Amino acid sequence: MMTKQVRYEALVKALHGDLYRYAYWLTHEKQVAEDLVQETFLRAWRALDSLKDEKAAKSWLITILRRENARRFERKRFDMSEYEEATITDTLSVTTEQELENHWLRDKIAKLPPEYSEPLVLQVLGGFSGEDIAGILDLNKNTVMTRLFRARNQLKEVLESEPVKRGVYNG
Amino acid sequence: MDDLQFRRAIYADPNNLNADTIAALEQDASKKQFANDIALLDERIKQALQIPVPDYLCNKLILRQTLASHQVQKRKKRFHLALAASVAIVGGLMLNFMQFSSAYTNLGDYALAHVYYEEGSIANNANNQVSLTLLNKKMSAFDGNFSKSLGKLLVADYCRFDGMRSLHLVYQGITSPVNVFIVPKNEQLTFTSAFNDKQYYGNALGFNDSNIIVVGDKNESIGQWKKNISETVAWSI
Repeated sequence: MMTKQVRYEALVKALHGDLYRYAYWLTHEKQVAEDLVQETFLRAWRALDSLKDEKAAKSWLITILRRENARRFERKRFDMSEYEEATITDTLSVTTEQELENHWLRDKIAKLPPEYSEPLVLQVLGGFSGEDIAGILDLNKNTVMTRLFRARNQLKEVLESEPVKRGVYNG
Repeated sequence: MDDLQFRRAIYADPNNLNADTIAALEQDASKKQFANDIALLDERIKQALQIPVPDYLCNKLILRQTLASHQVQKRKKRFHLALAASVAIVGGLMLNFMQFSSAYTNLGDYALAHVYYEEGSIANNANNQVSLTLLNKKMSAFDGNFSKSLGKLLVADYCRFDGMRSLHLVYQGITSPVNVFIVPKNEQLTFTSAFNDKQYYGNALGFNDSNIIVVGDKNESIGQWKKNISETVAWSI
C-alpha cells in the first residue's frame, strides 16, 4: 500500500515542472512562481486524502494554485504593468538561434492579456482539452475557444510583423 | 464549412481537429498550408512556453513538506508530554490532599467517628482492668498525669485514628462504655466543647498542648465526667 509520503513525492516529481511553468506564466516572476508552487504543494499535502483520482491530480493542483494566486492578490495588489520590461527574460540561456527566438516569443506571449494567455498555456503546456480548461477557469467552452483563437491570432500577427532580423548581429 | 469557421477551428485547437475540419483541409491546398502554418506556430509557442524549471525545486518541495510534517509531529509530541505531566501533577496533589488532610473538621465529629469505629469491640462489663499506674505511664507520652482513677478503666491504648495519634481510654459506664480521648492539639480540627448525635453526648476540655474528649451515651452524666477529669488531670511542663 502506498503511504501518503510516497504518493506526495510521486505527485511532486511528476507535476512540479508543469505547475512551475503554469505559475510562471501566471505571475511572470520566477521567485513568485516558486513560492506559489511551494504553497500549492503544501496545501496539496494537507488535502492529499481528498484526491481520489490520480488522473485528475494535475487539474486539481492547478485549481489550488490559481486559488493561491488569487489569495496573493488579496494580500497585496501588484501592479500588473510591472512586468512590461520583460522580467521574464532569461538572457543567460539565450545562446542559440532557437533560444533567441523562444526568448522573443516569450516576450510576446507575456504581453498577451492574461485572459488569453492563460487558456493558451493550459492547452499547449498542460495538454488540457477545451472542456477541461472551461472547467478549470470556470468559463463556458465557447468563451475558451474564442480566447484561444484570439490568442493564436494575435501571436501570428506579431510574428508576421516581426523584423526579418531580430536581436543584435555583429559582423 | 466556410473559411471563417475553418480558421477559427484551426486557431482554437490546431492539434485536435474534428472530422469536418480535416475533410475541408484535405480538399483545399491553401487551407492545408494555413493549417500547417498554425501547427508550426503552435510548435514555436510550445517551445517558448517551456521555460526552464529550477533543478532544486523538486527536492525543495519534498524537503519543505518533510520539515512541515515533522514540526507538526513534534508539536503533537510536546502537547502529549505536557498533558501527561499535568495529569501526573493533579493526581499527585489529589493523593497528597486525601492522605494528609483530616476527613473531619471539628473535634466532635472526629471523636464520634472514632467511637463508632470501635463500637462493640469492648463490652461494658468486660473483666479486664487497667491500673492507674499503667494509665499514667501511657499518659506520660502526652506529659499528663491522673491523680486518681476516674472509674473502672477497661482499656487504655494508643491508637491512630484518621492519621492522628491519640490515647484512647474506655471506662465502664452505666449502660455502655465511656470513651475518653487524649489527643494532641490539631489546627485542622476546630475545638467544640459540646457535641452530640442521636446516640452519644460528648464534651471536650482544652488544655495547653492536648485536648481531652469524653463521649458517652445519653444515660451518662458527661458533665460529671468532665468535672472529674479536670479535677484529676495534671500536666507537667
